[in-house]
Amino acid sequence: MAVVTKEEILKIANLSKLWVSEEELEALTRDMGEIIEFANTINAVSDSAEEFDGIHRLSNVFRPDEVIPSYPREKILKNVDGGEDGYFPVKKRG
Amino acid sequence: MEQKRPGLIRSLQRRLEQKELSCRELTEEYLKAIERDNPALNAYILTTRLAALETAERVDARLAAGEKLLPLEGIPMTLKDNISTDGIETTCCSKILKGYTPIYDASVWGLLKKNNAVLLGKTNMDEFAMGSSSENSCFGGSKNPHNTERVAGGSSGGGASAVAGNLAAYALGSDTGGSIRQPASFCGVVGLKPTYGAVSRYGLIAYASSLDQIGPIAATVEDAAAVFDAISLPDPMDSTCRGKQSAVSGILTGEIEGLRIGVAKEYFDGIKQPEVAAALEKAVRTYEKLGAKIVSFELPILKYALPVYYILACAEATSNLGRYDGIRYGYRTENYKNINEMICKTRSEGFGAEVKRRIMLGNYVLSSGYYDAYYKKAQNLRGTIVKAFQSAFEQCDVILAPTVPMTAFPVGFTGQDQVETYLTDICTVPVNIAGLPGVSVPCGRDGKGLPIGMQLIGNSFREGIILNAAYAFEQRDEYLSECFSKVEMGVKF
Repeated sequence: MAVVTKEEILKIANLSKLWVSEEELEALTRDMGEIIEFANTINAVSDSAEEFDGIHRLSNVFRPDEVIPSYPREKILKNVDGGEDGYFPVKKRG
Repeated sequence: MEQKRPGLIRSLQRRLEQKELSCRELTEEYLKAIERDNPALNAYILTTRLAALETAERVDARLAAGEKLLPLEGIPMTLKDNISTDGIETTCCSKILKGYTPIYDASVWGLLKKNNAVLLGKTNMDEFAMGSSSENSCFGGSKNPHNTERVAGGSSGGGASAVAGNLAAYALGSDTGGSIRQPASFCGVVGLKPTYGAVSRYGLIAYASSLDQIGPIAATVEDAAAVFDAISLPDPMDSTCRGKQSAVSGILTGEIEGLRIGVAKEYFDGIKQPEVAAALEKAVRTYEKLGAKIVSFELPILKYALPVYYILACAEATSNLGRYDGIRYGYRTENYKNINEMICKTRSEGFGAEVKRRIMLGNYVLSSGYYDAYYKKAQNLRGTIVKAFQSAFEQCDVILAPTVPMTAFPVGFTGQDQVETYLTDICTVPVNIAGLPGVSVPCGRDGKGLPIGMQLIGNSFREGIILNAAYAFEQRDEYLSECFSKVEMGVKF
């Protein structure tokens, strides 16, 4: 029996905001099935009562919350050719 | 003790200070070598020639004014392409980030830049650091300088290839499940994955935030220690980062009398090549001769480290890679009818196959109905693995293991079977799961002359102990003849 069905793959792809073409679906279902079967091997260990409580001996390093200047808007918008009126542009569609 | 294998950084700095050559000449040597040899290796995906020469001239001016060199000053180096560089394109070797130019520096690069490190360029990697051969790069894979029909490893394959091929004195890579140590092992160089929290992750484009860590790939243990010292500092921009406990460079004595070295059977069970097993066994005997005490124990929980790693890493990746929607930076699809279509098409066209698989696996293990069986279960097992290592470190100071169960794969191997490829990470992922430091050091060669790596694992923030143990191994007479392989490529020293 397949570990994962094509329908499940399509559902997961949708959650992932990814499109899967008809041609890709077959191979992807097979690959994902193998990977999930492999991931499932952890369920062979009997349930441990322990809850994960973070990496041993690590704790957050806190600092005073001080207001400092942030990045200028023009600099941030450089990656979208300067933006439009100070915003990220997206094409207007019907 | 007499230094048999001197550090490259220190010897280059000495030559600069003694005016044997200028920093500009040194930088030009490297740039020339990159131009000549990079087409065969594909280690660099971008060179930063002008900025490198500008920095070199600044260093020369300081030397001319009689200033002493700062740590790592004037040394030509490279950064993995997931480390943000202000004004220099940073793509994670993904089509989805093509054209993206960060507006700030990663903290590690900020620290090195302040010391006038000479950045030669950005190096190749598996897309978003997901892979073991660097062949998942949208620029094509990096080749191994020891044999260009073999891969450099991954995901920091470009950095390891550049260092082994003498195209950079050292490189910074990132290690989420072995991505520094594995390519270092394949390319016959030294790779250090620091303790989680020893080095700032600010500006490292995230793959799996609870596992990612930046570290050096270098020619020698001394070089790796010097780079670690320079980048391991607390950072107000990363609340998980507290920096090193103390400098490690000064404590490399090679004196390891009485050091307890642990050997866990499970690490050796999966070795695929008899030559790898033989080299590792020889390394254990070498340590015994050097005065270390060998302690054997079992770590049966390691059997589950690999699926635990893939579940947790992919779950975190799903969330981290949610930001790529084509709106604020990088690639955006041409034609779309609405915002949802724009995001879906951008992501489907921009991400490569392995990244898509990992995003989907992450969403699968986090989705309703599967969360408890996969994600929560894996988190609990992570706790069990952390505790198993803690009790192991009550019996020993260092754990010795293979870095990879085999030597460098032939080009094209990793595309064939995903699970088979994942299995090759078996010796490296436990360190990331437990947040521990690990270093890979060359310890032999196989019949084809390909390097074999040995991994030394320490307790949290004990980089000094593992680096000193590695140093002791590297400074023996036999090291150069048995473990080190010179590559006739790149800059000639």
